[in-house]
Amino acid sequence: MSKLKLNLGPQHPSTHGVLRLILELDGEKIISCEPDVGYLHRGMEKMAEKLTYIQYLPLVDRIDYLAGFFYSELLCRTVEKAFEIELSPRVKAIRVLLLELNRIASHLLWIGAFLMDLGAVSPFFYAFREREIILQYFEKISGQRMMNNYFVFGGVRRDIGYLEDVENFLKILPDKVNDYEKLITENPIFLQRTKGKGVLDKKTAFNFAITGVNLRASGVSLDFRKGDYLYKDFEFTPVVLEEGDSWARYKARIMEIRESAKIAAQALEILKRENNLEQTLINPLTLKLPEGEYFQEIEAPRGLASIYVKSTGDSKPYRLKWRTGSYYSVNLLRKILKGAYLNDAIAISGSLDIILPEVDK
Amino acid sequence: MFKDIKYLILSMLTVFKHLFKKPVTLEYPEKRNIPPENFRGKPVVENCKCCGICTRVCPSGAITIDKENKVFKIDLKKCIFCGNCAYYCPHGAIKMSKEYELGTEEKEALVLNYKIGGADERN
Repeated sequence: MSKLKLNLGPQHPSTHGVLRLILELDGEKIISCEPDVGYLHRGMEKMAEKLTYIQYLPLVDRIDYLAGFFYSELLCRTVEKAFEIELSPRVKAIRVLLLELNRIASHLLWIGAFLMDLGAVSPFFYAFREREIILQYFEKISGQRMMNNYFVFGGVRRDIGYLEDVENFLKILPDKVNDYEKLITENPIFLQRTKGKGVLDKKTAFNFAITGVNLRASGVSLDFRKGDYLYKDFEFTPVVLEEGDSWARYKARIMEIRESAKIAAQALEILKRENNLEQTLINPLTLKLPEGEYFQEIEAPRGLASIYVKSTGDSKPYRLKWRTGSYYSVNLLRKILKGAYLNDAIAISGSLDIILPEVDK
Repeated sequence: MFKDIKYLILSMLTVFKHLFKKPVTLEYPEKRNIPPENFRGKPVVENCKCCGICTRVCPSGAITIDKENKVFKIDLKKCIFCGNCAYYCPHGAIKMSKEYELGTEEKEALVLNYKIGGADERN
């Protein structure tokens, strides 16, 4: 029987960007999958070499537009660690609160988009309705909904406010997540499309350098927040599920929303206690990173994100490299789609939470 | 089978609960969103002292200062509304206004020209 080559994408509504998958089909079975990335390449790393650190700071929000705070936190942290600046408890709490709200927003969007891929429409609207509350809060404190540019080297742009908004949101969130769970988790159609599909075992996950929720849904308890200095005073348990299929990845994200809400509530407590904002801001005009190599990492919604900066003591980095979680998830599609049916291809690739601007940078 | 039907009914009930709620969307051209206090919209310049710090922190090179003709130019085609210039201006001369509907039919209208008052003594 002759094989059929099929292009999935690059403009497919369920790829959240422009991802082209070259599938080789035998009937409805996928024999091989070749992801073709690079359609959204903006030269984020090369751009850094021509800009000073403060000029580059607003641009890093655009690496992953759904979780911009994580990347600006990484760049700020690199500079802060280089100059050995100790953040005050209030600044730390502000950052943790915003990072966790950002994580909730990112997971909410994923739930909506993933269920949309599977053909369910209502969860999309419900998830976006809650995400809107977070984005409006971000707009209130930073001035824009997604390209926040709120963290600066050594602190934050202005003091945080409108804490009652977050309080109200955290109050209604568990009920809303219960609503999603009622709608989705035990739904027979959803179970048939996700249970046992796209199984990722521990060994494959390690071999493909998968991190984040995708790894934790395969039974590995690896959460980089546990060793992070920002999260030192916060209590939380990493979400670990054993199954490793699409359903487990969905369930893990739902559970992580609840867990993030708990961390955000703790951060809120600290913000109420610590009232004065002390920060040692670095003058960006004279900022020159001392010669050497710098490396920082953080647990982003889509896996481990890290930055590598090589500086020659100039006001611009000599080389800057980003590691983003989605890039490795795209590579995993080669393995995980082999032997699956074409109908499940979108369901499986959707469950990995791939965001293309993060892949192509 | 019985379990499946039970869950389908349960999820339908959840959906029906939302039927009687108010819409959360805004009918845009008729009703407009009021931007919050810190909103980063069209940049507005007043009492510029020509120190040039804004040009050094701007990521996209949207700002040019012509000291001879005393004109401060912001190219909105290049501006990414990051707010760096407003944040680092030592005189508080640049402010991000709440204006966000900036579409025009002429290209020239997107280059904002502001007159500069007195020159800064330091430069």
